[in-house]
Amino acid sequence: MENRNTLLLTAMFTPALVVFTAFFLLPLARLAVESSLGPSGVGIYIAAITTPRYLETLGYTVFLSASVTLVTLVVSGVSGVFLARNEFRGRSLLVSLLTFPLAFPGVVVGFMIILLAGRQGLIGDITGCLFGAKVVLAYSMTGLFLGYLYFSIPRTITTLMASAEKLDRSLEEAARSLGASPWRVTRDVLIPALVPGLISSGAICFATSMGAFGTAFTLATHIDVLPIVIYTEFTLMANIAMAAALSIFLGAITWAALSVARAVAGNTVAAAG
Amino acid sequence: MKRRFSPAFTAQLGLTLAVCGFLIVPVVQSVVAGLTENFMVGVKSGLTLRWFVKVWGLYRETIALSILIGLACLACALVLGVPAAYAMVKRQNRLTRLFEELLVTPLAVPGLAIALALIVHYGAFTAFRRSWAFILAGHVIFTLPFMVRSVIAIMHAIRLKDLEEGAASLGAGFGRRFVQIVIPNAVPGILAGALMVFTLSIGEFNLTWMLHTPQTKTLPVGLADSYASMRLEIGSAYTIVFFLMIIPLLVAMQWVAKPRPRTFVMEAIAPATALPDRRAVFPSAADRSDEPVTGSGTALRLQGCAKTFADGTRALEPFDLSVEAGETVVILGPSGCGKTTLLRIIAGLESPDPGGRVYFGGEDVTEVPIERRNVGMVFQSYALFPNMTVAENIAYGLKVRGVDTARRNRRVSQMLEMMKIGELRNRPIEQLSGGQKQRVALARAIAIRPRVLLLDEPLTALDAKLRDALRVEIDGLLRSLGITAIYVTHDQAEAMALGDRIVVMNIARVAQVGTPREIYFAPRTRFVAEFIGTINRLKGRVQGGRLILPGGSLPLPERVRGPADGEIELFFRPEHARLVDPGQGGLQATVAASFFMGDRTRLLLEGAAEGGLTIETAGNRCFRKGQRVEVVVEPDALLRLDA
Ligand SMILES: Nc1ncnc2c1ncn2[C@@H]1O[C@H](COP(=O)(O)OP(=O)(O)O)[C@@H](O)[C@H]1O
Ligand SMILES: [Mg+2]
Repeated sequence: MENRNTLLLTAMFTPALVVFTAFFLLPLARLAVESSLGPSGVGIYIAAITTPRYLETLGYTVFLSASVTLVTLVVSGVSGVFLARNEFRGRSLLVSLLTFPLAFPGVVVGFMIILLAGRQGLIGDITGCLFGAKVVLAYSMTGLFLGYLYFSIPRTITTLMASAEKLDRSLEEAARSLGASPWRVTRDVLIPALVPGLISSGAICFATSMGAFGTAFTLATHIDVLPIVIYTEFTLMANIAMAAALSIFLGAITWAALSVARAVAGNTVAAAG
Repeated sequence: MKRRFSPAFTAQLGLTLAVCGFLIVPVVQSVVAGLTENFMVGVKSGLTLRWFVKVWGLYRETIALSILIGLACLACALVLGVPAAYAMVKRQNRLTRLFEELLVTPLAVPGLAIALALIVHYGAFTAFRRSWAFILAGHVIFTLPFMVRSVIAIMHAIRLKDLEEGAASLGAGFGRRFVQIVIPNAVPGILAGALMVFTLSIGEFNLTWMLHTPQTKTLPVGLADSYASMRLEIGSAYTIVFFLMIIPLLVAMQWVAKPRPRTFVMEAIAPATALPDRRAVFPSAADRSDEPVTGSGTALRLQGCAKTFADGTRALEPFDLSVEAGETVVILGPSGCGKTTLLRIIAGLESPDPGGRVYFGGEDVTEVPIERRNVGMVFQSYALFPNMTVAENIAYGLKVRGVDTARRNRRVSQMLEMMKIGELRNRPIEQLSGGQKQRVALARAIAIRPRVLLLDEPLTALDAKLRDALRVEIDGLLRSLGITAIYVTHDQAEAMALGDRIVVMNIARVAQVGTPREIYFAPRTRFVAEFIGTINRLKGRVQGGRLILPGGSLPLPERVRGPADGEIELFFRPEHARLVDPGQGGLQATVAASFFMGDRTRLLLEGAAEGGLTIETAGNRCFRKGQRVEVVVEPDALLRLDA
């Protein structure tokens, strides 16, 4: 009977494993192989990190992702805890509005930034009226930064709100009863308790930013991020080996970021995704 | 505490509103641009649906394809993900853990890389490459982790194991458990996962942009095209279409995630007189077509049943036990001594180590799984199915056995009446109090007329008063039903009140088997004596037929005296000593503490014997600390015990 159940359970589990292997594990392995089949063989990886253009792009991408993550964590941390801790009229509407962009694909986010800060955008109109000169941010690093912030904040606010709701309020009340000021309570109790949540949502925010393609694609900035470079290598230059090598680089970086976060913050990283 | 509009509150609210503005202003702009004649002029230029008509003409195929792929992706995620999640929760082995780890990787690997990998690997299969199934493959890989994780989370949250064991004890096999218990109770998680999968698939761009062909364009691909065409108003109108598609999905997601308010349940304490209704137990003449619930028990025999768990824990040494038909045996012992393990072996939820056998009547059931053993089981957590009402829970075991509706209803009514919970018939489980749940659990177990009724600490989760009331009730029930019952508890008072016989256990072994009286008055070891009630120790020297103690001496009956003079230890219960007037030859002692317990007073005495004595005396006398008293111990009540 035990054996029969084991068989049945294995049977329930097999289809998912097969599909996953066929359409994820095997292709990725193939990609790794393919990267070394170019004219320079495994040397392609050395070429990838020594070519100034790629290196510069990698630097931009990491810098952009890291700074977006930092700002997102601060902003979403404050707002998330605020929303979790306060009951006021219009709160649920506010939460709904903040989480609405959660489901936007990168292209839509790019379009939102064009509407906000593009040539005919709101910021341009306002600055045009005020100073007589239109400020156009959308197609620069600032535009990318705003775009990445736009898709990162809703996700991070929802996860941090959830972690703030789970916190044991009696800890803060105890600290307060011992005479700690609100600031001290925040520093000594609240933030330490939120650290696992901050690390895990920060890691996911970083990984998503590293791999984001749609936003940069829509904004068509003159600063290339790594996913755009991979795309152009593949489609325009037909340099499959280099595209594969760079994808593997990109995957390795995001995977490492998530793994480190998981090691530091425990198993909650996966659950926050 | 915090003032409503303190500066901190205002600052945080301000930041949150600013963030909200940043996110929502462009959304509003796009809505305005999509609905007005000229977005540069704004609403003044007049409202129009022109752009939507254009979008419909240009892009309707992309919308249809996105919905098609979304639904297909959802179907795949359900078919692949739900069974896999279940298997991963049930079987924790290296393969399933590895797969759980692997399932996280599609989140870490950028969509672009996954898409590239798919193209490199499958690009040569042109028919596949050109069909929308190619995009579907990418979406399934991308969304499957969300479905699996959502389902795993709910399965951990609903105490799946308890529910499944409950269903198995009522006779449900693997497939039936999966369809009737696992799936219905996992619905919120499956629904949340499904909404997530569909939403993600509709909006997926990173993978899709790489995987699409001119013939297979999805909505986000179309959006990218429309943005690139530099027609802001068409792009806006198209974006509104996308908003309209995802808003219902987001609303549904919020609705699913919202915690349902639980109905507040008053803990109703059963009246002390609430004995089971015997008329219900012995069916009336009109009901005679139905077999009575009584007398359904079989004899039970365990032979050499040991249990060693996979991690090496020896939970049970080879164990022998015989229970007569209709007898109530209580398994009593401290926590962790192996009681639950023993019960689970009888139930068929665990199998004994090789060599151990379990017999019901003459039949060897060792290899029979629980669903075919016909045992009734009452779990400590009750394991009531939250997806069914009270009546459906009670009827479940009968339904599994194919009993027809009419008979089933009659039996349910009979059980409800017997347990005095008729008014709860159509209540959902979550609205029951602890005591009511206990009654339903009992009714459900008895309804199948089990060969053996197994109860694992059924009263532990209840408060003291309710526990007493229900204990009386269960006692009456077991007696009037004449059912063979094994009752596990760590509470000696419960054991005394319920058992025909008590099996006292101590770390994986039997310490003593006997009637409550035998166990109490003739404990065989110190462990048993000390575990059940309070016992006093007299340690001293025997001299001339008397035991010499610090507070005096006692005459010793032949029975406990031993072969020669020397050191011995004797024991007696608190109620076998009494205080006497000074000078009557008792042991001299001083009062160390006294506890008034209403009907009696418990005294701790010093100086009479090494380690002090505890005795009981009438409730109406007052004592003060340090008061001198004299104690006499009844010689007949003295016990010699093995260590
Ligand atoms: N599945 C298991 N794997 C390993 N050890 C177990 C398992 N179940 C129970 N044990 C161990 O077996 C011993 C007896 O457990 P149990 O029968 O639950 O005790 P009781 O019900 O008397 O409290 C305990 O030491 C417990 O930790
Ligand atoms: Mg137990």
